[in-house]
Amino acid sequence: MLTVNHLAKSYDGEKMSLTDVSFSVQPGEVTVIIGPSGAGKTTILRSINQLIRDDEGEILFDQVDMRQLNRAQLRRARSHIGMIFQSYNLIEPLTAIENVLHGCLGTKSNFAGIFSIYNTREKEEALKLLQKVGLEEFAYQQCRNLSGGQKQRVGIARALMQHPKIILCDEPIASLDPKSTITVMDILKDLAVNEGISVLINLHQVDIARKYADHVIGINNGQVVFDDRTPALSDTAVTGIYRKDAHSEGSLVHEF
Amino acid sequence: MNSNLQQVNHFFNKKRFRLSLILVILGLAYAGASFGLGFQTHSLLNIQDGIAWLIQNFIPNEASQGYWQEISQQLFRTFLVAVAATTCAAIGALFLAIIGAKTLTAAITVSWVIRGFSSLLRNIPIVAWAMILLFSFKQNDLTGFLALFFMTLGFLTRAFMETIEDFGTEKIQALQATGATYLQVIFQGLLPEIAVALMSWILYMIENNVRDATLVGLLTGTGIGFIFNLYFKSLRYGAAGLVVLSVIILVVTVELISNLIGRLLS
Repeated sequence: MLTVNHLAKSYDGEKMSLTDVSFSVQPGEVTVIIGPSGAGKTTILRSINQLIRDDEGEILFDQVDMRQLNRAQLRRARSHIGMIFQSYNLIEPLTAIENVLHGCLGTKSNFAGIFSIYNTREKEEALKLLQKVGLEEFAYQQCRNLSGGQKQRVGIARALMQHPKIILCDEPIASLDPKSTITVMDILKDLAVNEGISVLINLHQVDIARKYADHVIGINNGQVVFDDRTPALSDTAVTGIYRKDAHSEGSLVHEF
Repeated sequence: MNSNLQQVNHFFNKKRFRLSLILVILGLAYAGASFGLGFQTHSLLNIQDGIAWLIQNFIPNEASQGYWQEISQQLFRTFLVAVAATTCAAIGALFLAIIGAKTLTAAITVSWVIRGFSSLLRNIPIVAWAMILLFSFKQNDLTGFLALFFMTLGFLTRAFMETIEDFGTEKIQALQATGATYLQVIFQGLLPEIAVALMSWILYMIENNVRDATLVGLLTGTGIGFIFNLYFKSLRYGAAGLVVLSVIILVVTVELISNLIGRLLS
């Protein structure tokens, strides 16, 4: 499904924020990336759909290297990759259903996209997705009036509107209360188990990783230090992933 | 404990000293400037005589009532010029701001060129604009329109650019991640988010331009500014006072309406 080989990235040309990161993600599995702040988790996730242009390596999504695609090809590839964010990144003055429909912009012509011309099938699907995440009654509410957990569910519906093969989740629960956290993680897990979507999540919370992940990747100072099935994530392994060494201090500034 | 106390005292003493220093500097600046100009501070004591003369002469009287129709006609004309110049400039400014905002621009050089251009436009005073344009476009409404247009274009480009840059890149990236094109991101993401902010800048600029249009009209010989000048120079002070009063009423009305619109939008 997704294979990352020897990914390396430096923002300033001197300090490496990623050095030789390799891993792969299987369909229908929840893969969690854990590691200290500034380890490079966000950089990895945003390199996958090329929101961050990387320096070196190979990102194979459906056997195609994302780094080699031209504009139109990248656009088509991105339309199959859903993404949700810590700060939700919804368009707040628009309603929930409009935000969900943004998920099909990748397949629309410029004109139709600009003037919000969606067909009946798309509108029906958007409503169905809102129902799926339990927000059908909020369809015509402006997103600025929703709670954090509700916003994140709209974000998930927007990602699902893309019919994604994989969903990238950048700290999806970092701003949520415990109850919303469970709701959001349950939905993500369900997508992997019942719809065969690969779910790749950046997390801080080790206990959540243990509960929901099939596969865990530990990142420290831009390197993969752990890559195994979840049961192998012992306390010693966690300590190893979160250890601080002399090099990691300097790289803390690179998280964004 | 003792050294803490010393430190905190020292801190506040230093702050107090700085404040006193600033006050002394301001005082010296005033004294120096008025000495340079030969300005006598005590003449401020006689200011009431001037004001009394002003009130006696500029209060609209019976004779000036007859001017209402002409004044309101010219006032409306001036208002329309201001609104037209602002809305046209706003469209141009939005276009330039989107191309030039650092978060969206294709090349940073483009951003700098647009920044420089807008800075040039708005840093030429409106009076200078009017006088320069007067040579090519003569005395008519178009000259006033253009003077307001150029100044507003410069100002709004900068304001819009900052609004767009404050919006950040996160939400733009979120839409790009769905495979949306550049124009789709602008129309579906950026514009809905900043619409209210843009609208309040435009309303602010309309208010401003209604005021400035009066001044510009004085120079270009059109609108309310022209008839003010005409009445004033022909010693019809009452009528001139009426013009001033009508401008004040218009500006306050526009401000009230724009506040109302602002409240409705947010």
